[in-house]
Amino acid sequence: MNYFVIGYFAAGLIFAWFYDTWLIALGVGGLSLISYYSVKSALPDSDLYQYVLSAVYGIFTAQYIYQMHGLFEMHFIAFISSALLITYQNLKLQIPILIVVVVHHAVFGYIQNSGVNEVYFTQLGYFDLQTFIIHILLAAIIFFICGLWAYQLNRYTKKQHDQAFEMEKLQKESLLSMSKNLHMTNEGLNEARKTAIEKKLHADELEISYKKLSKTNQELDKFVYSLSHDLRAPLTSMLGLIEITEEETEDRLVQTNLSMLKRSVNKLDCLIHDILNYSRNSRIEITDEEIDFREMLNDALSSLQYLNATHRNVEIHVDVENNTSFYCDKLRLALVLKSLIMNAIQYQDLKAAQPFINIRVKNTEKQTLITVSDNGIGIKKELQEKIFEMFYRVCLYSEGSGLGLYIVSEALAKLNGRIEIDSELGRGTTFNIYIPNGAVSLASHTSKS
Amino acid sequence: MYKTAMIIDDNYTDRYIGEIRLKKHPFAVDVILKDSATSALEYLTLHANEPHALPEVIFLDINMPEVNGFEFLEAFSFLPELVHQTCSIIMLSSSISSEDHQRAHDNKFVRSFVSKPLNKEKLNNILVS
Repeated sequence: MNYFVIGYFAAGLIFAWFYDTWLIALGVGGLSLISYYSVKSALPDSDLYQYVLSAVYGIFTAQYIYQMHGLFEMHFIAFISSALLITYQNLKLQIPILIVVVVHHAVFGYIQNSGVNEVYFTQLGYFDLQTFIIHILLAAIIFFICGLWAYQLNRYTKKQHDQAFEMEKLQKESLLSMSKNLHMTNEGLNEARKTAIEKKLHADELEISYKKLSKTNQELDKFVYSLSHDLRAPLTSMLGLIEITEEETEDRLVQTNLSMLKRSVNKLDCLIHDILNYSRNSRIEITDEEIDFREMLNDALSSLQYLNATHRNVEIHVDVENNTSFYCDKLRLALVLKSLIMNAIQYQDLKAAQPFINIRVKNTEKQTLITVSDNGIGIKKELQEKIFEMFYRVCLYSEGSGLGLYIVSEALAKLNGRIEIDSELGRGTTFNIYIPNGAVSLASHTSKS
Repeated sequence: MYKTAMIIDDNYTDRYIGEIRLKKHPFAVDVILKDSATSALEYLTLHANEPHALPEVIFLDINMPEVNGFEFLEAFSFLPELVHQTCSIIMLSSSISSEDHQRAHDNKFVRSFVSKPLNKEKLNNILVS
């Protein structure tokens, strides 16, 4: 815009050639130039200089009209100026130039009409009021159109600007939230990594302690086994010697003493068995295999043959309903069966004419139900809860260690099974044992892997 | 009744009980007592070609120092065919380990597993089988 002002000043100098109006060109043009630049340099942040410029453009137009002795075409300068002012996008900037034009026309028109010479306002002879009004009206319309244009331009620019600003804001926000998210994700990742490392460490520790434990377990099992063997070896020697001596003597007293000695040895042997069984139940891993109940019961019964030497023969009925294969841990199941049968033999009712044990096995796909019932001495109702406790013995003359049924319940716990007792003193005892079929867990195991 | 039986056991009392049992039953005319697997192997190697000197039944303990029952069985498998044909082995142990029982069962030289102490019933069962 600065170039235009200088251009206006230069144009004034050019027009000065025509009618030799150098003084006007330099004086009025120079003053206008000075006023514009001084305001602009004094108040660079204010838009006052724009209003000054508007007025200056009006004055330049008037100057040219005067210089060209009222040349009508000089009016176009006003329109050019008005158009130029659009660039400032301010409707109000059209007002100073309009005022200057109105004042100029009114003053010079009046002066020329009053007959003053060398006014050079218009080439017309007389400038009447009607012409003045039309003139000014047309000029005002042009200025208004340019002003409107400036206003619209300003609005669009502003809108665009706002949009751009909004865009920028949105972008900034999204960037911020993105970086925030990223930060959070990063933190989460770090946290996850940390937990993973901790978990790994924990798992490693667990594995080490598991290895240590299983080694300790193995060693302990070996120890218990060796110890039980070393304890049993002299016991069997004693038993062998007692039996030989029993056969050698006819002396009743010696025979009574020897049979008591034998009982003690057997009791000690039972205890060793129980300790070994307890240790094995708690330490050896569970391995499910198909169970042949008949074979297992036969083994149990034959291993309990030695009880016949000290106890009345008991009639044993075995009924196995084997509809489906049953899978279980052999060691523990055999332990449970043997313990219960042994108890039934040991605690038979001496008053009963025909002592018996009924063993019934009923397998289903889900579980097995083993029922061991006898017509033995039975257990008092109030003591029935206690019989599964460690070292609990029901009666004074019981031969066991007090571990038998405790180990049974421990072994059943390992097999996820349970035991129910139904007993009446003097009538007999029935144990119901429920054990889930290992085939179910085997199947779910294989389907998982 | 057998002509000759052998008892391999490091424990004196058990050898003593075994000898009385076998003779009293009667299970065997002659009873050879060996206090270690090594000395038993020496005897069997020495008499590998004399069927009349070889025991028809060998009662073998499992838990013994130096060479145990199962190690004896391994060495036994390297003895001449005649020894294998003549001697049948019966494990006689106080072991209640099911592993020991299974291992004994799986060995082709072992006839049966008998738990200590020896008595009339057990000897009868062997004679019948």
